[in-house]
Amino acid sequence: MVGISLGEQHFIKGGIAQDLRTDGRKRLTYRPIYVETGVIAHANGSARVKIGGTDVIASVKAEIGRPSSLQPDKGKVAVFIDCSPTAEPTFGGRGGEELSSELALALQRCLLGGKSGAGAGINLSSLLIKEGKVCWDLYIDGLVISSDGNLLDALGAAIKAALTNTAIPKVNVSAEMADDEQPEIDISDEEYLQFDTSSVPVIVTLTKVGTHYIVDATAEEESQMSSAVSISVNRVGHICGLTKRGGSGLDPSVILDMISVAKHVTETLMNKLDSDISAAEAREEES
Amino acid sequence: MAAKPGAATPTYSPKLVGRSRLPIFKDSDLDWTRPDGRGFHQCRPALLQTGAVSSASGSAYAEFGNTKVIVSVFGPRESKKAMTYSDVGRLNCNVSYTTFASSTLGQGTDHKEYSSMLHQALEGVIIMETFPKTTVDVFALVLESGGSDLSVLISCASLALADAGIMMYDLITAVSVSCIGKSLMIDPVTEEEGCEDGSFMMTCMPSRYEITQLTITGEWTTPNINEAMQLCLDACSKLGEIMRDCLKQSTSASDE
Repeated sequence: MVGISLGEQHFIKGGIAQDLRTDGRKRLTYRPIYVETGVIAHANGSARVKIGGTDVIASVKAEIGRPSSLQPDKGKVAVFIDCSPTAEPTFGGRGGEELSSELALALQRCLLGGKSGAGAGINLSSLLIKEGKVCWDLYIDGLVISSDGNLLDALGAAIKAALTNTAIPKVNVSAEMADDEQPEIDISDEEYLQFDTSSVPVIVTLTKVGTHYIVDATAEEESQMSSAVSISVNRVGHICGLTKRGGSGLDPSVILDMISVAKHVTETLMNKLDSDISAAEAREEES
Repeated sequence: MAAKPGAATPTYSPKLVGRSRLPIFKDSDLDWTRPDGRGFHQCRPALLQTGAVSSASGSAYAEFGNTKVIVSVFGPRESKKAMTYSDVGRLNCNVSYTTFASSTLGQGTDHKEYSSMLHQALEGVIIMETFPKTTVDVFALVLESGGSDLSVLISCASLALADAGIMMYDLITAVSVSCIGKSLMIDPVTEEEGCEDGSFMMTCMPSRYEITQLTITGEWTTPNINEAMQLCLDACSKLGEIMRDCLKQSTSASDE
């Protein structure tokens, strides 16, 4: 982010205080969202999401693997994010690495739920093929193509869309085998299974600038933030994850207020995303 | 443990007294007790000591039940040559586990994320302007992992920073809460963390009554979050008093 002058800083802050941001939005309005699915041929599912100038791609790849010995009844999911220096020069080297791991950690927290699996967007048990022997390993990769703020929300939406787009081959396990043998599996290339993504939460980041907070901050606005709280909310209105960024402290009542605002914002965002995703899926099938 | 003479502190038990809140767990949930026999809203006894490492600028040792951590702070000292000029100080955090810290072998990348979370929790509270061009290194070592490692690490690190004389706005205290079924339990141990439905970790500045870091995973309803936040704030302020007492004792001991 190129440094911005003092005058511009005041303009951004003053606008937010008066509920009219530099691009004419209100504090709780999103930039136009564009969703496209099936953009990567080699992946099991993929999606591209554009929110204003922010452009991200998420891909889901599935691979046959072995469940970990600690959780023999569950499949595995790994989230990787790549912030390429092509999006912004500061992403080169360690700057990008730090941001990537921070984003991946936040997404993992939002998607995978608690240790027992409560509140998980992806049901890990559904990835199991044979207990303790064979399971699906899901690799979720996010790529930031162009960055204009609000990366986490865009990546969250892209992953949700990519998971909806994902088709995993049906696997048949030969029934007869000894206990210690690796079972023979037959991967079908005709039958595919789809994910139920209705429980995948959406992420809303509230960025606090001055005394007010805004959704969908641009990079310019993010440079003026004191702190940001990312809240993921699922369809039933439960909180599935929360992360705070930025050093400055927040009053407990402000955080609770943010949570209720986020829940309110998610309702409309979730419906908008769902209709966008199904429209994108329909478009893909047509072409 | 190379503790300063006279700095040995007795074990405190932060009891959450004066709690007239509605019980959050129904009677039907009460047929099980916590592995160490504590109440649901009772923290483990905390033992805190400063000056555990003599070569460091400041250090602290914390023992919360079975969780034992040691944190040493070095600096402010010259930043690495590769770093460019900065008119505010830098903070470098590193968390490592001893090989015998937990029963599972080959732990994953936990430590790297713990390092960044420790950094996030501390950066807002340190007055970085007081040491321009230099770096403060915080090295944390988990001697034994017994649950709520991160919150113990953060509290211990703030004590070590205070011991090193780094200027801070306030002490940082951290407390975790686990949600299992309908019940919330404060300061979970490893067994409880393994089967929790949701975890909640909060760090706050008790005297300023501000939350510096908050992470929630799992599925939470809004009333549960309210309840957990109140529990944490209460426990944080009590832990803050214990830490303050510990610092006072160590300074009065060194004055004598």
